[in-house]
Amino acid sequence: MKKKHLMPELKEGSVNVTPLIDIVMCLIIFFMLVAKIGVSRGAEPMELPETFRGTKIDDLGNTLTLNVRNSGGESPKVTALVEGHQREIGMDFAEDGKSANSLVSVLSILRARNAKFQVIIRAEKDLPYRLLEPVLLACTQANVQNVSFNTRVAAEVQR
Amino acid sequence: MKIKGAKLVHYESGPNMIPLVDVVMVLLIFLMLVGQFGGMEHYLISNLPYTEKGLGGAKPLAGAVPDEPLDIRVDSSASGGWVARVGKIQTSNMETLAGQLTTMHENLNKVGTKTDKIQVVISPGKNVKYDYLVGVYQAAMDANFTKISFARSH
Repeated sequence: MKKKHLMPELKEGSVNVTPLIDIVMCLIIFFMLVAKIGVSRGAEPMELPETFRGTKIDDLGNTLTLNVRNSGGESPKVTALVEGHQREIGMDFAEDGKSANSLVSVLSILRARNAKFQVIIRAEKDLPYRLLEPVLLACTQANVQNVSFNTRVAAEVQR
Repeated sequence: MKIKGAKLVHYESGPNMIPLVDVVMVLLIFLMLVGQFGGMEHYLISNLPYTEKGLGGAKPLAGAVPDEPLDIRVDSSASGGWVARVGKIQTSNMETLAGQLTTMHENLNKVGTKTDKIQVVISPGKNVKYDYLVGVYQAAMDANFTKISFARSH
C-alpha cells in the first residue's frame, strides 16, 4: 500500500515561505563564494579581446592593472588604481621617445618596492598597436618582466 | 484603547520567518550589486612582453647563447582585417597560422633547439588591432611556444 507524503496541512491561509528561503539561501551562498567583494584592482569596463587560452592569476595583490584606451590622439589614455585612487597616468614622451615618461616612473617605483610586481594590461580590442606599444615599452624600461594581457574567456569555452 | 483583534486569532504555525526573509533578501541584493565576478576573464601571461629588435634593447650576457628568433610579421589587410607572414607562408587564418607555427616548432626541436631557447617575436604594423595581435599570440601558444613577445612596430 502506497503511503502518501503530503505537505503538512496549514490551518492558516498564510504563504509557505520555506521554499523561498531555501532558494534565497542557496543564492546567497553562491554569491558569497563567487563574488569578490571590496577587492577593486582598478579594472574598468571595456570590450576585451576573447581568447580560448589563458590562466587565472590567484595573487592579484602584486599586480597593477593598466586600462589602456584610445584617446583619439597620438598617445593612449592609461588609467590605473595607484595608491588607492583611480587616476590617469600620463604618457609624456621626450624627443628620444623614451625618457620623461610618467608611466615609467610609476612602474619603476612600484617595481622597486616589490620584486614580484606584475602588470596587467586591459586594452580595448580595437586599440591599434601604436597605442599599446608605448605601454609595453614603459614596462620594459621600468624592468617589469611579468606582463599579463587580460582577455575575456571565449564564448565557446564558457559554454 | 486595546486592540482586541490581535489576540483573537493565533494559530501555531512555527517561528515567524518574515524578519529572516527581510534580512536575507537585503543580503542577496547587496551581494548581487557589490560583487565583482572574475569568472569570465583570464590572462595571457608573458615574461618578456617587448623586445626592441636592434634598437637599443638589452644586450645578452657575455657567453650566453642568444635565443633562436622566430619572427611573425602582422599587418593590417586592405579589408580591415589582418595578415600574418611567418616563414614562407602568409595567412589571415588563425588555425593555419597555428598549424604553421606548430610545424616550425617541431622542425626546430628536431634540429636540437629546445623550446625555451626559441623566442617568438610578433612584429605588428602600427595600426594592427590589439584583438588580432592577441589572436596571433594565442596561435603561438597553441603551437606550444613559451617565449612570446611583441616587437617595435613597423
